[in-house]
Amino acid sequence: MFPESTLPGRKALLYLLLLSGPLVFLFFFFYYPLSSILQGGLTDDQGRFTVSRIGSILSDPYYTGIIWFTVKQAFLSTLLSISLGLPGAYLLAKYDFWGKNVIRALTTIPFVLPSIIVVLGFVRFFGNNGILNRLLMGLFRVEEPPLRILYSMKAILLAHAFYNFPICIRIVSALWSRLDPNFEDAARSMGAHGFRLFREVTLPRILPAILASSALIFIFCLLSFAIVLVLGGGPRFTTLEVEVYRLAKVSLDLKMGSALALIGSFLSSIFLYLYIRLQRKMSFAEEITADFERKRLSALLKEPAGIFFVLYLFLIAALIIAPMAAVVYTSFLKRSGWGGSTAYSLDWYIRLIFTSNLYARSILNSLFFGFMTILFALPLGTLIAYLGSRREIKNSSILESLMMLPMGVSSIMLGLGYIKAFQGFPVEITGSWYAIVLAHTVISYPFVIRSVSSMFRKIKPSLLEAARSLGADSWQLFWHLELPLIKGALITGAAFAFAISIGEINATMMLAGPQTMTIPVAIYRLISSYNFIGACAMGTILMAISFLTFLIIDRVGEGIG
Amino acid sequence: MSLRLKNVVKEYPDFKLKIDLQVNKGELVTILGPSGCGKTTTLRVIAGFITPDKGNIFVADRGIDHLPPHKRQIGIVFQDYALFPNLNVLDNIAFGLKMQRVKRILREAKARKLLKMVHLKDYGHRKISQLSGGEQQRVALARALATEPRLLLLDEPLSALDAKLRKGLRSEIRRIQRELAITTLYITHDQEEALALSDRIAVMRNGKIEQVGRPREIYDEPVNLFVAGFVGQANILKGTVRSIEGGYVFFNTALGDIRAPAPRGCYPGREMHLFFRPENCTIKSRIPSEDKGNYIQGVVAGCEYLGEIIQLEVVSRDSRFILRLRGCPAIAAGDPVVFSIKADNCRLLPATR
Repeated sequence: MFPESTLPGRKALLYLLLLSGPLVFLFFFFYYPLSSILQGGLTDDQGRFTVSRIGSILSDPYYTGIIWFTVKQAFLSTLLSISLGLPGAYLLAKYDFWGKNVIRALTTIPFVLPSIIVVLGFVRFFGNNGILNRLLMGLFRVEEPPLRILYSMKAILLAHAFYNFPICIRIVSALWSRLDPNFEDAARSMGAHGFRLFREVTLPRILPAILASSALIFIFCLLSFAIVLVLGGGPRFTTLEVEVYRLAKVSLDLKMGSALALIGSFLSSIFLYLYIRLQRKMSFAEEITADFERKRLSALLKEPAGIFFVLYLFLIAALIIAPMAAVVYTSFLKRSGWGGSTAYSLDWYIRLIFTSNLYARSILNSLFFGFMTILFALPLGTLIAYLGSRREIKNSSILESLMMLPMGVSSIMLGLGYIKAFQGFPVEITGSWYAIVLAHTVISYPFVIRSVSSMFRKIKPSLLEAARSLGADSWQLFWHLELPLIKGALITGAAFAFAISIGEINATMMLAGPQTMTIPVAIYRLISSYNFIGACAMGTILMAISFLTFLIIDRVGEGIG
Repeated sequence: MSLRLKNVVKEYPDFKLKIDLQVNKGELVTILGPSGCGKTTTLRVIAGFITPDKGNIFVADRGIDHLPPHKRQIGIVFQDYALFPNLNVLDNIAFGLKMQRVKRILREAKARKLLKMVHLKDYGHRKISQLSGGEQQRVALARALATEPRLLLLDEPLSALDAKLRKGLRSEIRRIQRELAITTLYITHDQEEALALSDRIAVMRNGKIEQVGRPREIYDEPVNLFVAGFVGQANILKGTVRSIEGGYVFFNTALGDIRAPAPRGCYPGREMHLFFRPENCTIKSRIPSEDKGNYIQGVVAGCEYLGEIIQLEVVSRDSRFILRLRGCPAIAAGDPVVFSIKADNCRLLPATR
């Protein structure tokens, strides 16, 4: 009735002490690198404050072209992802059918499937020499590949849509399924039907979810790196992220890169802010509604629109599965000589397992970085989530959003920050394993927070009070009650941290050296040298690892909203 | 151990708790009051979850104000049971002993003994989610008792259960409490529950205790209209003290004079309220001509048959009365009726609420 707890000063001090750990970590490995980018982008060569660098970017048609293209492709990708996702959201929200759980599980894909796999799958399936074109060529007996998708805006949009439409399904169906269908029935009884019913009754109520997923997808597309790097290409199809990478790694112009990164993060932070606002609005909507009964899909099939939905289900299943299947298929091929015929073989796998080379090394690297990231990100995220859940700490939500900030910063920028900030350090950071692990930790620990803190919030306060009254001190309370209760969320958080680390390519490309190459970087190198069979063998291994973590998240699946 | 709250004050922007209370060793005292009256706040102050602004709390005459909740040795049964979902029944009960680092064999033996006491002997290895509400409640009670606490606090422990189960469990709680002779503070908004299982009841309103007494005292001798109305049904009639004779008052009301025992501090001309219980009324066929007091005439407005009793609603001028009668007089709505109340069953209460 009057929620309040006692706050002995000693305890506040303890919390402050606990808090200082994450704060120091974030200061050194997030805020400090970030500030060095700010400093790089906003000072001239003598170190004086100036906006001239930003100004010169904004007046250079080359850069404004890149900015314009970045926004345009993100906008169109979002539009495509939403239109592809909405029918799925409707089906998931309103109907029960066989395989629904599989489809729902597939919506986790964007969070665990490495972007380089999407790139590889697209090249192998939609490419000029890809499976789709070969099928069409064989079917219609033509000599030239009929579909020329790659290395164009089309490829970027399609890959982004593939990657992001599950986000729309996930977020929109979550809200849609909780809306009271009586509203629609009432409107129907007053004569509304068909598209009018949707536009005037349903749409306004699911709009917050559509906008929230749009904002999120827009940010992802704005910050997308590997897809644009490989599937786009050339100055015509370059985005801010790719240009920052090029400036830092090819032109070695860190200051210009910093200035450009600042412009990029300004753009993305606007949409991040929008997303947070919209999500708050939605969680309010969730509170006032409940879960309602769903119809069998067979009911829909009797309607004329049913055919459309069945086709849709097949299309998205094909769209998701075909590129991945293309990767696995290609990995078992062997090419005899240039342009020679292909045969089935395990050559690449044998090479990876039985010989030591850079690629075999990259697999061990990836696993090592993944486990190290868990080791760092899990305690960090759990500690922050724990402190954020304490009612004794005032403004704990401000604290939490401050700690969540790395989610809004692009990992290319983070990598750039590391290079810039630790330039001239006695210890070489670039190319070292710890630089990569630290960057992966910063990128992944917000996911640990999200997973764990929602679990902490689900613990009823009376449980904690019961344990206290039974004689548990703060430490026993945590060890014997809170820790077991958040166990599932910890596993999920660890799996996410691992999945993110193992699939991360943006910051890794900035920081990795030959000895610290990871699987995604190796795949990128192999694609660049047109060694697709090798890339696909590595890709299949990466997919298998990602699939395992995906299974863990799906089975344990606690605390991720 | 005895419990004593001495001038405990806790102030909120819209609410103030101000309480003095003594619970003797082995006694079961109920705090009874409507929701929002501060009963749960009181419990939380005792448990140490809320620090009071002023006042002291004593257990066995020792101040416990400085002790954090986990050192107070107070067993609590929560409204939502608050059983640990990650532990089975036995481990839930043994949790407190585990915190005291009691050996596994010993704490499990103790937990089994308690399981037997709450009649859940074979439930030790069940999950909490496999238990019914009543079973969860028993486990919660066993868990609170396992560490042999100095005090037992129960926060509306039966409010989430259905009526039949409530009656069975409340007598069981009482049996166990007597068996262990543990000092107990029981919180409820259910007056029947309070009357049935308390040694004493403290009726609470707006953060203050209005009256403390044995159930019969509270029921028969309420100190004000609030207590009268909250503990059972009350018939109330406004009026003025006309005269006082031999310990009795002639009380002048709009429905005639009523004779009632003279309360302390009454004087002719004082405005007061007459109060009597529905079951203390008897139906008369007519007004005896020789007696002038304690009869009320009216018309039956409603008649409810409740099995062993019949409940009448009688309207007389602007007043409405509830009557509970044994046996079944042939009365129907619309009938004129005369009823009487013995003078000794009437009470005069102050006019202010």
